[in-house]
Amino acid sequence: MDIFVICLLTIGLFFFFGGAVGIIRMPGFYTRLHPAGILDTMGILVMVVALAIYNLHQLTFESVLLTIKILLIVFFVFLSSPTATHSIVDAGMRAGLRYWTKKKEKE
Amino acid sequence: MKFFGFVVVCLVGGLLLYGTADFPDWGDPDSPASTHLSDIYIEHAFEQTQVPNIVTAILADYRGFDTMFETAVIFCAGLACFLLLRDFKERKERFYRHVPTGVILHVKNSKKALRVGRDFEHIDKDWIPSDLIIKTVCRILIPFIQIYALYVVAHGDFSPGGGFQGGVIFGSSLILLAISYDLKILVRRIKEKVLGICAAAGVLVYVGIAAICMPMGKSFLDYSALEMFVFDPHHVRALGMLGVEIGVGIAVAAVMAIIYINIVSEGRHDEGL
Repeated sequence: MDIFVICLLTIGLFFFFGGAVGIIRMPGFYTRLHPAGILDTMGILVMVVALAIYNLHQLTFESVLLTIKILLIVFFVFLSSPTATHSIVDAGMRAGLRYWTKKKEKE
Repeated sequence: MKFFGFVVVCLVGGLLLYGTADFPDWGDPDSPASTHLSDIYIEHAFEQTQVPNIVTAILADYRGFDTMFETAVIFCAGLACFLLLRDFKERKERFYRHVPTGVILHVKNSKKALRVGRDFEHIDKDWIPSDLIIKTVCRILIPFIQIYALYVVAHGDFSPGGGFQGGVIFGSSLILLAISYDLKILVRRIKEKVLGICAAAGVLVYVGIAAICMPMGKSFLDYSALEMFVFDPHHVRALGMLGVEIGVGIAVAAVMAIIYINIVSEGRHDEGL
């Protein structure tokens, strides 16, 4: 079980690392939001699920309750984080910000 | 006038800065706060107040006056926002959007709002309806946020939290409603009058609980005087603090909404962000 938890945490770390690199390296506003939105959500999802599983070492009523609470956090993050990214992109589109193209960079 | 204001600000700021020179150093172990006060709080807070969270005990009981006037300051902030920004002038231009086709009608010079059917909605010039995704998710999240806010207020005696934090969370749920739908829906749900009354009532609850202690023969804000009102005299101070925190929560939530509504619509209460 520990190995499983470590695997999940490592995957989460990988996601977060990819997200951080993506925010720095990607060109343009929308392309930067893409790693920020997807990879952060996935990273936090995997990591918190790992914590929820780790918490089940002792199978008591309280630990199960705590796991359910942790899974609730996962649920709300999964719901709110992509929506926040979506609303930022939406606002950018309405404000008339053009997406990045290779041609634009050359000019 | 501007120059005069600048001079006053500089003068007061300078005096305050001069005053801070007399303070003990940051984290100085020999300062009065560290030598006498903190120890007493840490050692006696639980047995004196029966509240496990020392921070709440200090804020709502030992320093009850401080917190009371903090609430009054927040109320004044809401009042200042209202008095400075509120604009009661009715605008004559109106826009109606036909929902199925998206055609927008522009009505000039109408004194009253037209009565329109279901197919039309009253919109503002710069406002575009929010996306369906944002609306739906916010509709799901807002009740949870509000329940969490009530939990933070009610659980302030036992865990981090209290009236200010819970009130801010509740107010932010109202703001989220205004952002995700539009301002008119919020203003229609909670009238401006209700918000104002809530803000004042919150302060009144705090001051009222403090003042009831006086005819009971104890001093102002001494919650132990309230013994005859509660079922559990052992926890009378904790319950007094809870009452006070509820007052703070109501006031803060209402003031947050007032400030947001007035700033975002420039006092006209009609234009969604």
